[in-house]
Amino acid sequence: MELIGLYPTWYEPTIGSGWVVGLIATIHVLFSHTSVGAAIFFAFLATIAYRRNKPELLIFIKRYGLFLLVFAYVAGSITGVGIWYSTTVASPRGISALIHSFVWKWATEWVFFVIEVVGVYMVVYLVGKVDQRTHLRITWIFALASYATMLIIIGILSFMLWPGKEAWFAEGGYLNGFYGSNTFAQLAMRSAFMFTMTAVVGGIVASRLTDLDLRREIIRKLAWLGIVSTITGTALFSWYTSTLPEHAHLVMQARLPDWFSVSLLAVLGGILVYFIASLIQPRLLTPVVASIATVSILVFGLWPEEVARESIRKPFVAGEYVYSNQVIGRDVPGMGIRSEIPVIQEHGLLKTHVFLPEELREVNGENAARVGRAIALSMCANCHSVTDTGMRPLRNYLGGHTDVARIKTYLKGALTTGNTLYMPLIPLTDDEAEALAVYMASLNDPQVPARYAAQRAAIAQADDLPASVSMKE
Amino acid sequence: METELLYALRDPAGIPSHPVIFLVLGVLTFALHIAAVQMMLGASTLTLWGAFSKDAHRRRLAQSMINVAKVMVSVAIVLGVAPLLFVQVIYDPFWYTANVLSAWWVIGFILILLVGYTLMYVFYWRNHHLADPARKLSCPGAMVASVVLLLVVGFIMHVLAQQMLQPEHWMSWYAPHGDLETRGTALHAFHPWRFLFFISLSAPVTGALLVAYQRYFRARDDVEPNYLDWVRDLAYRLINLGGVVSLVLGAVWMATLPEAVAGFAFSPWVWVAAAGLLGFVGFAHWVRGKGDSPWAYAVLGVGTVAIILVAVAREALRWAKLHGVHGYNALDYSINMDWYSTLTFFVTFGVLGVGVLAYYLTVAWRAGQTRGVYTASAVVDRMGNIAIAMLVLWIVHYFVLGFVWWAL
Repeated sequence: MELIGLYPTWYEPTIGSGWVVGLIATIHVLFSHTSVGAAIFFAFLATIAYRRNKPELLIFIKRYGLFLLVFAYVAGSITGVGIWYSTTVASPRGISALIHSFVWKWATEWVFFVIEVVGVYMVVYLVGKVDQRTHLRITWIFALASYATMLIIIGILSFMLWPGKEAWFAEGGYLNGFYGSNTFAQLAMRSAFMFTMTAVVGGIVASRLTDLDLRREIIRKLAWLGIVSTITGTALFSWYTSTLPEHAHLVMQARLPDWFSVSLLAVLGGILVYFIASLIQPRLLTPVVASIATVSILVFGLWPEEVARESIRKPFVAGEYVYSNQVIGRDVPGMGIRSEIPVIQEHGLLKTHVFLPEELREVNGENAARVGRAIALSMCANCHSVTDTGMRPLRNYLGGHTDVARIKTYLKGALTTGNTLYMPLIPLTDDEAEALAVYMASLNDPQVPARYAAQRAAIAQADDLPASVSMKE
Repeated sequence: METELLYALRDPAGIPSHPVIFLVLGVLTFALHIAAVQMMLGASTLTLWGAFSKDAHRRRLAQSMINVAKVMVSVAIVLGVAPLLFVQVIYDPFWYTANVLSAWWVIGFILILLVGYTLMYVFYWRNHHLADPARKLSCPGAMVASVVLLLVVGFIMHVLAQQMLQPEHWMSWYAPHGDLETRGTALHAFHPWRFLFFISLSAPVTGALLVAYQRYFRARDDVEPNYLDWVRDLAYRLINLGGVVSLVLGAVWMATLPEAVAGFAFSPWVWVAAAGLLGFVGFAHWVRGKGDSPWAYAVLGVGTVAIILVAVAREALRWAKLHGVHGYNALDYSINMDWYSTLTFFVTFGVLGVGVLAYYLTVAWRAGQTRGVYTASAVVDRMGNIAIAMLVLWIVHYFVLGFVWWAL
């Protein structure tokens, strides 16, 4: 019998594994986008500094560079690796799908990453220690290598949402998976907003400059950078959303609250007002104000964006073929990948899951709740908490019901048909659906498993009775 | 766990090149990563050793070593990305399972590393005058805590590597009493001698770094020869003593291997690795006899080769366990050959990466040896222009190919 290569489950009861990934990813996006934008901004400033003989601009490059060394390159590189680690434990087959299609692209990004890390040390520490043309070359190399890292990761992020071209499903191939309209739209939008982040974070450093003329000049440059990038990014956001697949729009309409788009516009408007204010009155910008703006952009800008990006790719987690519960839900003939749904439909999850103890592979009255828990952890827990805390707790979907038969009917209708928009199709045999129902009922009434076991025992006894009577006769 | 189950865990997408390429790259990049880790640990320890002293040489070394340590953490992280990538490609069933079973620690790894690295910076920021023995030490606890935390993250990685090798225990760890244990809060397997062996290599590897360090600064007339002689003596002591301790710990590790792979201790892989370490110590002594010569830099190179041989033996042990005992052959992974991405990597790595880094390191090397402002020669300028041209060309190729492919 064919087995389904599902890994063990990591269940984080407090906030949920998805939120752990989301938190690390959001922080990383701030660090990485800021540092790429800053690298290009440094190249621009260094060019002005050397061509117009304005060496004071190099003071800002050195200060901002040192700040980024810790802020972006230390924390950024650790949280970058952190995304791999957190997705490895939260969604091993999701990250595996990306790694196995794009390993060489990630390895190529790594080459640029090495150049970038060496480059930031050189840009910062060689100011005034090498001739001007050499320092300018170093700075431009740093900028180009930084942007190359972004070029690569955007294609992978885009594939995660949906493969570049439909042809990828039939033909496979890196280029079909990597390049598509969403790749370029996402790249353009992120390129704009990375400058917005650079301008916001740069304010923390610029506002601490003691030379007032330099402080004013840098703050104004950052303000213009912020204004132009925010307006451009907002315009490009429309292009980006127009490249999303139809089901992503349906999920957005169904899942995202009505106030989401309004709040997004409010955030962008707020950022614009912030930059205009600092352009008109640079002295208003203090380290505290800039720090608050940085945290605000993280909490009110990046976090909702990451949550939305996570939501719109449901029910899939990678490449529109790996479901969020790790099951492969679609054939990809071009890569020799076959959907696992038919195997589960034929043999059941309990018989085909690699990581299940033998005593949980058959359902009986005694173990029904334990089997149900195992199914819930494997099939549901990535998106639904099995405790009261965390993401979308399962018990909230039952309206307080504890009737096993009724819950079972609901599960078979909602899960096994694949008719719920953002939910994977989850095949369940009759026994599995009943075990899951017992477990879910127990979330609202802990006595359910005992009552269910007693009922099953009584039924079994009743079934056995005529046979035992006849044997005695 | 049965072989059939291990194979079922493989990614159905296959891999885009022959698995042996990933195997070799995994070993090489792991060797470079672990060498950086060892330099980081060695430099951090020397920072503490110097910082707690009133001796002028030790304090001066501490000042240099804190700079080396914080750069080496960056380097170790950057270099660590590559083996982390390659291990997932051909050993995915083992790596993912080992991680999920200790997920809490995997997430903890990120936070602990972040705190450890930050504390190192705190110590650095608070002690800009570390070289001056008359100045009081500020926040030494931050550096001590940093070293401890960096050792903890190393230990977490060690545990994951050990758990990878023990599929026979996975189910008992995951479902100890028949019920699933999904919190991932436990560390299930470790081998203290193996861990100590890799940590102990910090001494000879850092010794090799110091041999190069003292040679490099002999070109500068503002660095006292007395200090550099003292560093040289310390470097060779570290290579000698550290080399012996590492060999002993390595021998104990081999003597305490699990029964299923006990015979590996006598395999050629082990002898070659031991010969590499001994050869490195011997080479260092030969170089010492040649006095002040550029051969000093070769000690670092030969040390790297020795670490590569150790990494090869480590890989051979993994093969002996996973293939020899569990029947998993990493080299029969199904291939979905993708020539474009394969070639892109090798050209980017071998041409662009080597070219750009050669320029960067040439400038850094010469600037470090120059008092005042370093002015690049015409040849170095040309290297810089070529580096920029290659990067521009790469980016142009990305967009041109992308737009054409998209439009097709």
